[in-house]
Amino acid sequence: MSTAPYDWVEKLNSESQREEAIGKLREVLLRGLKGAFLRRGQNEAFCEDVCQESLIRIMKNIDSFEGRSKFTTWAISIAIRVGISELRRRHHKDVSLDAITSGDDMKIELAVAENDVSGNSMDQRAILETLSDLIENQLTDKQRTVVRALLGGMPVEEIARRTDSNRNAVYKLFHDAKQRLKSGFETSNYSLSDIQSMFS
Amino acid sequence: MPLSKQQIDTLLTLVINSTDDSMSCDGCLVNVAQFAESELMGTSLCESMKKVQTHLNNCPCCNDEYESLLAALKSLND
Repeated sequence: MSTAPYDWVEKLNSESQREEAIGKLREVLLRGLKGAFLRRGQNEAFCEDVCQESLIRIMKNIDSFEGRSKFTTWAISIAIRVGISELRRRHHKDVSLDAITSGDDMKIELAVAENDVSGNSMDQRAILETLSDLIENQLTDKQRTVVRALLGGMPVEEIARRTDSNRNAVYKLFHDAKQRLKSGFETSNYSLSDIQSMFS
Repeated sequence: MPLSKQQIDTLLTLVINSTDDSMSCDGCLVNVAQFAESELMGTSLCESMKKVQTHLNNCPCCNDEYESLLAALKSLND
């Protein structure tokens, strides 16, 4: 009996062995997808659909597998992204970006308790006012849109789809926005630990 | 529409915990399988895997996908 590891790439690229290998890979993917998505409230039909789409994606990108992980781990990582992308698309299909980000010229208002004058509350208010100023003056329109959309629950890839952009670019906008706000707080002499303790 | 208290808390937490991140979401996808295997085996992370960790800490979407990947891999080992 052979103890050599199953060579997925070789089998999937072999005309004579491809069908059997795809069948095996399908079994592995389906088991993994069920482990990930049944607990997220999805059913077996959803897993089957994702599995089918993932197999096409994996076969199309098989040459990009570099062998730095097991083939099945790499394949499942692709299948998970296919599945979660589908869930996000379904969840947000009736939600427009405008509905989340519209109004006030993208200005983000901060709800501050006007009547609470305790020391802690006044410190919190000062921090929130600084945050509001930083959002208005340090962020670009695009950054404000992305921040607001993400806080509204829209994931990066859905924002990208609606803005004719891509996930990497939207993530960079978001990340740069966070870094600008962080730097702005530090320039305003707020320690991050103080802010954390004030809002924890 | 003003941000809710929960959204403000979320934003402040994300800002406070934000660190330099040179990796893109696609870069994370390329490396995440190797990262997951390292984590499941408890092996120490090389420099390129530390970048994946940093990205996962900064990107809620990739982190969500990573949690599902771990669940999938664990189900295969059951």
